[in-house]
Amino acid sequence: MTNLKYRLLTIALLVLASAWALFPRKVVERVKRNGTFVFDTVQRVPLKRGLDLQGGMHLTLEVDESKGTIANKAEALDRALKVVRTRIDEFGVSEPVVQKVGNDRIIVELPGIDDPARATAVVQKSAYLQFQITDKTQAFEKNVARLDGILKEKGIVAATRADTANAAAKAAAKAALPNLFAAGDTTKAKRDSAATDSTKAGTGPFSTKVAKAPGGDPGRYMVAESDRDEIDSYLQNPDIKAALPPGKQLKWAADTVSAGGKAYRDLYVLDARAIITGEFLTDAKPNTVPGEGTIVEFQLNNEGGRRFKSETGKHVRDFMAIVLDDRVMSAPVIQGAIGTRGQITMGGSGLQAAQDLALVLRAGALPVPLKVAETRSIGASLGQDSIQKGITAGLVAIALVVLIMLVYYRFSGLMAVGGMVLYVLYTLAALAGFNATLTLPGLAGFVLGIGIAVDANVLIFERIREELDHGKSVRTSIDEGFKHAMSAIVDSNVSTALTALVLYQYGTGPVKGFAVTLLAGLAATMVACVFSVRTFYLVWLNRNRGAESVSI
Amino acid sequence: MLRILHGTNYDFIKYWRTAAVLTIAFILLGIGSAIFKGGFPYSIEFTGGTLMQLEFATAPEVSQLRTTLDAAGIKNAEITSFGSNREYTIRAQGAAQVAMQAAGSEKVATQIEAALRAVSAGNPFKVVRVETVGPRVGSELRRGAVIAILISFIVTLAYLAWRFEWRFGLAAVLATAHDILTTIAFIKLLHLEISLTVIAAILTVIGYSLNDTIIIFDRVRENLHKNRKMRFYDLLNRSVNETLPRSILTHATTLAATLSLLLLAGEVIRPFAWVMSFGIFTGTFSSIYVASPILMWVEEKYPRANEARGAAPRPRP
Repeated sequence: MTNLKYRLLTIALLVLASAWALFPRKVVERVKRNGTFVFDTVQRVPLKRGLDLQGGMHLTLEVDESKGTIANKAEALDRALKVVRTRIDEFGVSEPVVQKVGNDRIIVELPGIDDPARATAVVQKSAYLQFQITDKTQAFEKNVARLDGILKEKGIVAATRADTANAAAKAAAKAALPNLFAAGDTTKAKRDSAATDSTKAGTGPFSTKVAKAPGGDPGRYMVAESDRDEIDSYLQNPDIKAALPPGKQLKWAADTVSAGGKAYRDLYVLDARAIITGEFLTDAKPNTVPGEGTIVEFQLNNEGGRRFKSETGKHVRDFMAIVLDDRVMSAPVIQGAIGTRGQITMGGSGLQAAQDLALVLRAGALPVPLKVAETRSIGASLGQDSIQKGITAGLVAIALVVLIMLVYYRFSGLMAVGGMVLYVLYTLAALAGFNATLTLPGLAGFVLGIGIAVDANVLIFERIREELDHGKSVRTSIDEGFKHAMSAIVDSNVSTALTALVLYQYGTGPVKGFAVTLLAGLAATMVACVFSVRTFYLVWLNRNRGAESVSI
Repeated sequence: MLRILHGTNYDFIKYWRTAAVLTIAFILLGIGSAIFKGGFPYSIEFTGGTLMQLEFATAPEVSQLRTTLDAAGIKNAEITSFGSNREYTIRAQGAAQVAMQAAGSEKVATQIEAALRAVSAGNPFKVVRVETVGPRVGSELRRGAVIAILISFIVTLAYLAWRFEWRFGLAAVLATAHDILTTIAFIKLLHLEISLTVIAAILTVIGYSLNDTIIIFDRVRENLHKNRKMRFYDLLNRSVNETLPRSILTHATTLAATLSLLLLAGEVIRPFAWVMSFGIFTGTFSSIYVASPILMWVEEKYPRANEARGAAPRPRP
């Protein structure tokens, strides 16, 4: 009797605890309102939904060692993790995950993100900002013949083919280039053609395909966009790299310029030493200035400001290239010494690009290049759809199982259904309580669990029937039925639990979610379908002390 | 009370030869299909590659999508409709694409989207799902899946060895191996893609089938203790018959769940539901026609002394 009281008390407490764990509470989340996603406080059951159910993106970033090994990888990864986290925080996502995995990976999970490409760009951008003075010594012109010579000598460019190609290219360039800038003042055009001619003295690709840029800005050249990959491949060649003038760097412009219906890209020759880098930056914000388009204004700290001032002071009337991630954003002329404030012109890019650039500049540069090793992104509508279908499938499954149990076991089936209700409650509560993530395979595991959970009751009921067949009393049959069915129930649940544990250990994302729901379901089965149903029987026996038959 | 198949006395074990022929034929059919019609289709999780799911405003021309992708250098991409004729998945798993993803796994997806956007101005589409896996991650997941299956094997074997006699464990594991083979044959014949979710389904089938075998063996263990004089052949048959109502009921409820998933839970989970539904049948089959005959064979080959029979370990609840 007292035994029964404790049993009922245990069930009551478990139900209360489960109800409390599942009680809707206020959370901030992204919700769709009038077609756009906004942050809002909503009342919701505290079950964490995986990215495949609520939409969002999962990114695995990997330290990119393709351009040289990284010395202190572990430490660099830790710093990169901090930078990525800062950027994500500013990006504005509710409940993001930024985690280190192994010794060279970072995983980023962004629930509710609807523009994966933009998120990837923000996370991955190195945001390494440098200010470099353009070359004034005509280092490229002086070496161009030699560079072309190396290309021929090493057989990178077939001499004969190159020569014929050159002749054509030269003719074409001669025809095209002066025309392009004819709109400018004549003296300038003259100077241009003189400059182009001088660089074209040779016959190699460098002589013919790299032209001095109009306007005569020091260190600035232009290459037709169609030739860019070819020239770039020459520049990557180790022999050419070795032959480039020491202390100088060649860098491409970030954007193309179009002239005469053809796209060109600037190639800059820069002093390798950066006068200042982005590490002194304290703030950056986007702005739109009439006439200049979108810009990012930045502010340097005091030390950075001091250095910037003294360096720019030394280089008045020189051109300063603003280099972001090895791409020249712009190269304005230095009018006078610049202090702690400056700006980066974004050209034709929109305000969002400026916002993102400001964001990554504020968060700081990544200490190591990161590449994307894996992405998974799911639209919010697809996730919503999955939940709806999963719930429908779950409800139909429950209805069918309830029907089977009631038709076959009658009153005992009703107790099993009671146990099943508790099973659903406990499983969901366990998921909420352990802060587990519900994924689509997890939802499937949950539905499957409903089918499997009643197995315990089926085993018990069949056993009770057998004991009744042997002519035992109702009470004894029930006792024996539970007792004898136990070994089979324990064995089968433990073997399934072992499989689930292995899945949890070796699975990723969604599959892990499946393992978790399976485990929670197994634990709930023992409590709901064995302990609770047993208690229901005890209550029933208590009320019908002289029962001669049981509806089973 | 309502009873089905109660108090039956079918001679199940008699038909083990027919059963063996049928199941071997099925497995060979699967293997043959794998050999002659190309191996197994693996998901991008294992091969590396890109999967995109696009929702178009109106039904697009598949041939036009293919031409566009070919022109963009995404050769041999697999384009299949997904649920409706407005939704399509594009899978790019070719060696060239995977190699391109070594430098950054998002690159191919960007290319596909740009190429399609350029030609489908009249029929705008939404990207509802993108998955990209670089080659390194792919090979790691492949290794992980194999390790997971092996470990779950070893762990369950160890558990059975502890709970039952070795002969039971051996029979159960061989039955499980049979289930894996038939399930793989089924996957091949249905042309399902082997993904992490499908691997999870296979492991669940293993667990489920093991359950079933354990239930029958639990009864064999008990009957061995009760009827020391009975022929093992009869004892097996009796155990299978006695557990028959339970088997039918449990399979009915589990099947109700998997069929709901199969029919109602949507495309993404469908391969999982297929494998699970099949698993219920193969699991039941193998408990009766693989595990039991093997157990019988072992008993005949290595008969236990009559005294030892009584000493068969009691179930430890």
